[in-house]
Amino acid sequence: MSDSSLYADVPILHVNLSDKSIRREPIPPEIFKQYLGGRGLGVKLVYDHLAPGTDALSPDNLLVVAVGPSTATRVPTAGRFVVVTKSPTTGTVFDSHAGGYFGAQLRRAGFAAVVFYGKADTPLYLWINNDDVELRDASKLWGKDVYDTTDQLLKETDEKAQVACIGPAGENLGLMAAIMTDKHRAAGRGGVGAVMGSKNLKAIVAKGTNEVGAYDQERLNTAVEHSRRLIKKNAVTNKSLPVYGTPVLVSVANELGMLPTNNFQEGTFNDAEGVSGEKLLERFSAGTYNCHGCPIGCGRISLIKGEKVGGPEYESLWALGPQCGINDLEWIAIANDRCNHLGLDTISTGSTIGAAMELVQRGKLDAPLKFGDTTGILEIIEDMAHMRGLGAEMSEGSKKLAERYGAPELAMQVKGLELPAYDPRGVQGHALGYATSNRGGCHLRSYLIGPEVLGSPVLVDRDRTDGKADLVMLYQDLSAAMDCMVVCRFTNFAWTVDDYAEMISAGTGIELSGRDLLHIGERIYNLERLFNIREGFTAKDDNLPPRFFTPLPEGGSRNRVVHLEEMLKEYYKLRGWDKDGRPTKDTLKKLDLPVS
Amino acid sequence: MDLTVEKLAKMIDHTVLKPETTRKKVKELCDEARDYDFAAVCINPVHVPYAVELLKDTDVKVCVVVGFPLGATTPEVKAFETAEVVAAGAHEVDMVINVGAMRDENYDLVKRDIEAVVAASGDAHVKVILETGYFTDDQKVKACQICKEAGADFVKTSTGFGPMGATPHDVKLMRDTVGPKMGVKAAGGIRSFKDAIRVIDAGADRLGTSAGVAIVEDFRWAQYSDSWMTPDKPCWTCPSRMANMAKQPKEVYKWYKERCLTCPHKEYNVFND
Repeated sequence: MSDSSLYADVPILHVNLSDKSIRREPIPPEIFKQYLGGRGLGVKLVYDHLAPGTDALSPDNLLVVAVGPSTATRVPTAGRFVVVTKSPTTGTVFDSHAGGYFGAQLRRAGFAAVVFYGKADTPLYLWINNDDVELRDASKLWGKDVYDTTDQLLKETDEKAQVACIGPAGENLGLMAAIMTDKHRAAGRGGVGAVMGSKNLKAIVAKGTNEVGAYDQERLNTAVEHSRRLIKKNAVTNKSLPVYGTPVLVSVANELGMLPTNNFQEGTFNDAEGVSGEKLLERFSAGTYNCHGCPIGCGRISLIKGEKVGGPEYESLWALGPQCGINDLEWIAIANDRCNHLGLDTISTGSTIGAAMELVQRGKLDAPLKFGDTTGILEIIEDMAHMRGLGAEMSEGSKKLAERYGAPELAMQVKGLELPAYDPRGVQGHALGYATSNRGGCHLRSYLIGPEVLGSPVLVDRDRTDGKADLVMLYQDLSAAMDCMVVCRFTNFAWTVDDYAEMISAGTGIELSGRDLLHIGERIYNLERLFNIREGFTAKDDNLPPRFFTPLPEGGSRNRVVHLEEMLKEYYKLRGWDKDGRPTKDTLKKLDLPVS
Repeated sequence: MDLTVEKLAKMIDHTVLKPETTRKKVKELCDEARDYDFAAVCINPVHVPYAVELLKDTDVKVCVVVGFPLGATTPEVKAFETAEVVAAGAHEVDMVINVGAMRDENYDLVKRDIEAVVAASGDAHVKVILETGYFTDDQKVKACQICKEAGADFVKTSTGFGPMGATPHDVKLMRDTVGPKMGVKAAGGIRSFKDAIRVIDAGADRLGTSAGVAIVEDFRWAQYSDSWMTPDKPCWTCPSRMANMAKQPKEVYKWYKERCLTCPHKEYNVFND
């Protein structure tokens, strides 16, 4: 291996859990050039090495844990990591991201990514201590929650290390199991924790003390200083998020009538003020949380019954609150904390509870669940993680639950992934983003809440459909590209495409314009699409639950429906996909993707 | 117009007029104005010597507000203030019109007020802030005519402290009134490059904003999509929507709101967007 500390020159760690072999291989230069790292690298590896139709929870699935060329450099927010695998929840290729500090440690240890293959016969964890890498027994940790596991592993290894682990939800192969890091930061979505659990892999612990280099340090320093200034000049990144955290969105979404309430039956929550970011600050704030290298600090620390807990963040607060009709902010923080301990995705957990509540409301399910009532919900959450009773059925997600009880239309999901905290009827472009997301119901593939709600970079009419396909594609491609750097999505409020391109160019020596960067993002997005097509997904899966084609009854988005069909047609055309949503040969050739 | 980042920057008066402004903030403002090559910094009189010193080797102008933000002082005081700031090195003076006199139709006083400032301004350019939110369209037209007759170089929409900011409607009205040779400065509520482009398209050749850096930086997004500029609901930029009973004289407020009744875009006036 090279002595260079540049991302392109450090190895990928290949760990076969079945035979416990560990090998180091360089990133193939062509892959680096075309996919950069992070999500792009992970998607390429999964696409190339996974046979079509592989059971996501079988030993044949790959679990890629990757960082990017910006990780642990001076680039703001670049201490994150991404997990790429085939999702057991959606059946699509899936990338799930987490903040905290683990990513920076992995990169400083000298690795670009870790790829796990096979399945261990007994529980193990991987201990990466700079260049020393070993698989260790995790039998005594199996069954422990995320917090205990983290504490125990730090004692066993090094207090300065960072842990990414699963809790009981992952061990029990729950389809909303997350991979947690620094206890309360989550690679939450898509059941990536179940894939880890299916491999009998309890945790990865990393400690790195190496310097991370840049191709042109002086140029990168200049670009970083500029990007930091932009973060400081931006009202969202310098005021709203640091002061209120992501829960600042509660009031905004509610005002516009798009705060999903009672499983998306309404878009206005009467008690929104009581669960708002402002109220969280007034009643429970015990500090903020900054991930590695982050000047924003959107993370919340709350003091609940004398104990400091992580969060709740906006999506979690919504899922366990308004989505279930619950207005008790203290209880929401407690439920969120339980999910963190158990290693559960809070969005899917809360949304599935909301779906179950509606099944009960409509007489489809007989269970002691009622909108607005917290009674027994904490126990249900425990049962979801431990696969007990109704909790076991709910742990499969709202889609399977609603199908099981004969009302599939009550699952608020796309491609099997529960939708997040914005009613799409109030935001046409964001709705198209939900429908066309490669990983299912996700707000982060194309966060059009920026322009459609927050006016970032400019405000566009949230009700119009024309021009939205164009913006969705731009945001999807940019998101894919910035996920190769593995930086926080919130930088997007302050930085333009050109800023990302400049930081990658300075860091890697690959000279990229903004358009070149978007081209890479487009390539990744199309490769993900090819993966999903290979798995049997079609244009029919680019859809939304039927609820969103009937009007909201009241509130700031009343009488609105999603006009998906007209946007989708335009979107396929702009993407260079045929009417069935398949990339044309010309598109694939343009992107250097396999035409076959 | 074929707008570039550089051209856009050179139309911006980078502005800080809040009472709590510190020297540190003025320094930051001037540094940014130099870095982005803005047209000017727009500041309160107390900061002029410092800004002039900071910008002495640049072509960024120092623009100073006088009679600000009410415009309710005498012509003599405005003239004295003007002479002071010009002597301290200001290149441009943004004065506030005598709003009350305009509404009294005391046009002689309005004109004398402006002439006094023009006379005291030396080589400095004079911009007259109408504070459009206090006026009906007819009054705005009349005010523009007086400014032109009095020898001002620019008319300007708003202080940023009054009832409403710049709207494309007002900018167009002002441009149509003063013609192509006089300047029109749009100020107040310009926070994004979309806001900026709208008022430029309406006829503004100078923009007053405290969001200059964001506007110029974010303008780089424009090259990646034309959809940013897809027309929004017409009410969004209409002054009638911004009318505010608490801030405007009753008859002015009513004038704005009654326009909605006969507006061809009435169907969009749902106010939950």
